[in-house]
Amino acid sequence: MKKGFSLITLGMAVTVMAACGGNGEENTNSVNNTNTNDDNHANTEEAALDGELVVYSSRNEMFVQDLLDKFTEETGVEVRALHDADPLQIQEEAGNVQADVFISNDLGALEYLNQQELLEGTDPENVDTIDEQFRAENNEWIAISARARGFIYNKDLISEEEMPTKMEDLLDPEWADVENGYAITRGGNGGMIGNVSALRYEWGDDQTAEWIQAIQENSAGIFEGHGDIRRAVGAGEHAFGLVNNYYYHQQLEEPTDNNVGFIYPDQGDGEMGAIANAAGLGMVAGSPNEENAKAFIEWVLEEENQLAFVGESLEVPINTNLEPPYEEAVPFSELSVQDMPLKELGNYFEDTRTLIEDAGLDLELR
Amino acid sequence: MLKDKKKTNHHTKQSPGAGDETSPAFLRFMNQKWLSMWNGNPPGTILLIIGILVALIMSIPIVYVIWQSLSAGEESWRRLLGNRIPDLLWNTLSLTAAVTGAAVIIGLSLAWFVIRTDLPGRKLWQWMLALPLVIPPYVGAVTYIIVFGPSGWLTNLWNDTNWLTAIAGDFPFKIYSFFGVFIVLTLFTYPYAFLIAIASLRRLNRNFEEVARSQGMSPIQVFLKVTLPFLRPAIGAGAVLISLYVLSDFGAIAMLRYVTFTAAIYYQRAGFDIPSASVLSLVLIILTILILWLESFTRKKRHFYQTSNTFKEPDIIKLGKWKVAAFLYVSVIFSLAVVLPLVVLIYWTVIGTGLGTIDASFFGYAWNSIKVSGLAAILCMLLAIPIIYLKSRHPSVISRGIDRLSYAGYALPGVIVALGMVFIFNNHIPALYNTFYMIAIAFVVRFLPQAMQSGEASLSLVSPRVDEAARSLGSPAWKTMLTVIFPSILPGILAGGALVFVSSIKELPATLMLRPPGFDTLAVRVYYEASEALYHQAAPAALLIVLVSIIPLHFLLKKY
Repeated sequence: MKKGFSLITLGMAVTVMAACGGNGEENTNSVNNTNTNDDNHANTEEAALDGELVVYSSRNEMFVQDLLDKFTEETGVEVRALHDADPLQIQEEAGNVQADVFISNDLGALEYLNQQELLEGTDPENVDTIDEQFRAENNEWIAISARARGFIYNKDLISEEEMPTKMEDLLDPEWADVENGYAITRGGNGGMIGNVSALRYEWGDDQTAEWIQAIQENSAGIFEGHGDIRRAVGAGEHAFGLVNNYYYHQQLEEPTDNNVGFIYPDQGDGEMGAIANAAGLGMVAGSPNEENAKAFIEWVLEEENQLAFVGESLEVPINTNLEPPYEEAVPFSELSVQDMPLKELGNYFEDTRTLIEDAGLDLELR
Repeated sequence: MLKDKKKTNHHTKQSPGAGDETSPAFLRFMNQKWLSMWNGNPPGTILLIIGILVALIMSIPIVYVIWQSLSAGEESWRRLLGNRIPDLLWNTLSLTAAVTGAAVIIGLSLAWFVIRTDLPGRKLWQWMLALPLVIPPYVGAVTYIIVFGPSGWLTNLWNDTNWLTAIAGDFPFKIYSFFGVFIVLTLFTYPYAFLIAIASLRRLNRNFEEVARSQGMSPIQVFLKVTLPFLRPAIGAGAVLISLYVLSDFGAIAMLRYVTFTAAIYYQRAGFDIPSASVLSLVLIILTILILWLESFTRKKRHFYQTSNTFKEPDIIKLGKWKVAAFLYVSVIFSLAVVLPLVVLIYWTVIGTGLGTIDASFFGYAWNSIKVSGLAAILCMLLAIPIIYLKSRHPSVISRGIDRLSYAGYALPGVIVALGMVFIFNNHIPALYNTFYMIAIAFVVRFLPQAMQSGEASLSLVSPRVDEAARSLGSPAWKTMLTVIFPSILPGILAGGALVFVSSIKELPATLMLRPPGFDTLAVRVYYEASEALYHQAAPAALLIVLVSIIPLHFLLKKY
């Protein structure tokens, strides 16, 4: 399976995240060229669409539904969405394909499906606005928005100096003694799966298993999703929590409970850098409404809609030409990001789930 | 096999002469066996086939889950038996035991107060205390999180009250704990024990207690030695209902972040670890059967007889100085189980309405709920008729078997039924997979017995002489059923349909697992919005579910 990944991808590792920060000038040139004809194609093709589109999404419903409604409004295609879907549902239904498009917050899941030949390549216009490193070889999946993992903390409970600075720090049981403890999501969460896969890439399986064991034992709260964590930390129920960076942005937007800060871990010299991941989408192989699926992907790639895709979540668009919709977001260019090609996550996807399950974190809630 | 026998039987019946010529002795022998199995009264072929088909369909999902779990492979079994199953067993059984114990004690004591003592307003309390029945436990859990959760009303109030935190420290109650789950489930399941105990206490003959008292027993001794043993079957029945509920609950447990077998099966299935989900299901099926067996086993050992001819209404015990304490106790339970949830729901519904939560999509969810629950209710009413007719008019091993099979899905958690449905539809009936019919069929598998019980009660009031008379006048069986039986049992059937409708509308786990893309129901929305802490959006849907659930309360109160 590993040979599915070209060396080119590995070579690009270093520039992976630089591309979406606005720093990588060499990438943006090609982007600019295709942008010019963006406007005139918008209304021509979609006029002919009708019928429906079935979207499976593993992202939070709140981040996706507005985008889907916008598509319906502009094209008349009725979208039927299944939120909170597990990527393996696509695999399960391979003999009786239901979904047209799969939207995921974990490129590992998308690449895994691609390796299982459950996604189909497309050739949408404007796809060049997304750097090649953020697409599968034949655009079986395309990433639109990026995020990094880190710690949201409550400034009333803990100061920046007291916070852990590395993922590795969580191995230490001392964090169980922090006032009100810290929070993580359960292991079945897509973000957590990506996080663990990245650690396996960095540390190997043994230390990663120890890490899962440690956070399972030492965390004070284990939640279903990240939204719960940001709210709990904001309200002072926990001192800090392991989330994606945009949940911090979201908590800052809350009218109350917003005295929170954020730590991007592993930023020191010689440290691995923040763990990055992205949200994206792909067309399901054998999609029953293939025309609509293609039109949807093309539509999402219009720059206005790339921003709508990032939308509510306050992530950072991967398209470097686009301004991040949230000004307080730290540009990726200023971050030290783990030097792993995101496609690599796909190689770890399945074993990571087993590892998490063996540690008992997949079911744990508290 | 069955069909063949049936055909022969039919054949001989219509033309005995030809039958004698063509059928050898063996067939005649089988025919006799067949007739004696039915006590000489076999049902019509079509009726029998319908009955058998329904029963088979009812049991297929369960059989499928068992089959899957047995073929799950050694690896899944070893992994689960090693580290997962022991923990889950402990979580599940300790919770089941604790909730059952507490809910039975509460239900029993409340019933005793309202029936046997001079508690002020006892007649009113009799139905007020049954009200928590209309609040699905997952809705109850939401309201408890809103009040007692880490950022709940009471928690914030407590933590903002300086003198209180100075004395007692931070708010001490943690809702996301064993204790929190225990409280919530107890408060919303005790009515099962309460209603059954009320029915028993009403039938309790005063003579027994008088004899006991004449033997010099104190009131407490009378209660322990006479009243309590008499209530024993009622306690058993209540305990079974409650413990089966706790075993099968998904919504309340998931919201309170506790993991039992049901929740574990749901999460395994959501992560598409099908072998593990089915292995865990098998364990849960065994637990369910054990509870049912335990109850029937203990019940068989003892018999209680009532002498009806000297029945005297039990006397009312004067509470005296305990009156205030008893009143307080009853009021506290009522406040916690009814007032508190309703106040919270109404509060958030008002806010939600102000924010425009009740919009087109809200009505869309409501319509989806009605559509799928209504379809399930209609199917249940139609399918219940042949089965109860078979059971009551043609009693035999076969009709009893059909009856039993129809109960297969009723005793088991919705999660397991849904698991079976997914297997079957995805692999064998792809055309219906991911349609709302799949949910409706799952509801039928789960709730058909509710329609059967209600219909049976009606049918038992119609004398078999009535249909015999109709048949003897030359009306064929199917016509008799339609024109004579059906109209007279219609009220019972409709009541059964209403029960199915309500059970369906509040059902959560099967709906969550089976809903097709874009098909959200009220129950699903309550679960989703509440887990996102969007209470103003969850409350209107939850309140609507509660209001609809008042329908079965009417039937239940009539029954007990």
